[in-house]
Amino acid sequence: MGKKDKSAESLFTKEEEQLLSDFSRNVSTKSSALFYGSAFMVSALPIWLYWRIHMIEMMPALLWFILVTLGSTYLIAFAYKNTKFILKHKIAIKREEAVTREITRKYADDKKISKKEKDEKALFQKNDVADYEATAFSIFYNNALFLVIVVLLSFYLLKGFSTTANYIFSVGIASGLIALFSTGTQ
Amino acid sequence: MYSLKSFIIVALVCTSLTVSSLDTARLLVSKQVLNKLLVQDSDILVKYTIYNVGSVPATNVILQDSGFPAEAFATVKGNLNIRFNRIPSGANVTHAVVIKPLTYGRFNFSAAVVQYKSSENAEEPQFAISSEPGEGYIISYAEYDKKFSPHLLDWFAFAVMSLPAVVAPFMLWWVSKSKYELILKQKREKVSKD
Repeated sequence: MGKKDKSAESLFTKEEEQLLSDFSRNVSTKSSALFYGSAFMVSALPIWLYWRIHMIEMMPALLWFILVTLGSTYLIAFAYKNTKFILKHKIAIKREEAVTREITRKYADDKKISKKEKDEKALFQKNDVADYEATAFSIFYNNALFLVIVVLLSFYLLKGFSTTANYIFSVGIASGLIALFSTGTQ
Repeated sequence: MYSLKSFIIVALVCTSLTVSSLDTARLLVSKQVLNKLLVQDSDILVKYTIYNVGSVPATNVILQDSGFPAEAFATVKGNLNIRFNRIPSGANVTHAVVIKPLTYGRFNFSAAVVQYKSSENAEEPQFAISSEPGEGYIISYAEYDKKFSPHLLDWFAFAVMSLPAVVAPFMLWWVSKSKYELILKQKREKVSKD
């Protein structure tokens, strides 16, 4: 396997690898940790609402809290990844001109650097900027949507349910919905 | 929960139908619980009204309400045993007591007893029993809080906790977006000037 990987790596140039990573749904370990960390944090937030406002009895519902939070963390992280993937290309196209200009300006006086190197730097910078903005926007959008849906469900639509059922369905439906929305292509 | 105000039934147990009944004091006693909601650890106002519908004043009137056991209720203000020297004919007296339920659940608000002398010469005391407010449900403080408290502080804390999850990523995206849009704007302005 190792040999095969190495030979596969050598088949592509740096630019091609960059291009491949642009079109890949895979995220780096760092991004993944950020996604799961953020997803866990936002998934755990509704517990406060149920503890303090719905006044749920904590001990009997503890197992549900753990299960639902973990399930929701997975679904939200899934939504982050999909949203980021869709946004990244759109943002990359939008930022291309500005990033190229920024790089040109930055290396305007540097005569040692060739045009090809400048183009390469612009390509990497564009990818970084698109990645950064798509990650940030994806986290913001999904978190905001998740919290709004949870509040609407728990305080309006599922108000008549028992507190534990309200928690399970509100958080479950909210995370399921944002995961579903994220699979759209527009 | 039904309204306790509907239990204003005035009871009269002072009917010694003797020849001299026209010259006696006759008391009608009502007991009312004025709160709409009965909540554990919150004040409940109980009002007693004694009407003298007889032709002579009632004297040595003693109102006793043993319907609030000490293990279930605390008296906040007023007295559950009170004495009025004299209630003139045609007059009424009102007495209020504030109590606090220590537990929650169903509770039967029973009648109070009034003891009085129906005439100056009467040797035996006369007894009257008040109306009964009846059964009421005292809700627990947690249940009351859940239904009626605005939880402003809890919502504020929730907003503060949500801020890093929503505002922080938005700001990061906004700063980067503004930076690159400014570069584009400057470029376009330069081109249009040229």
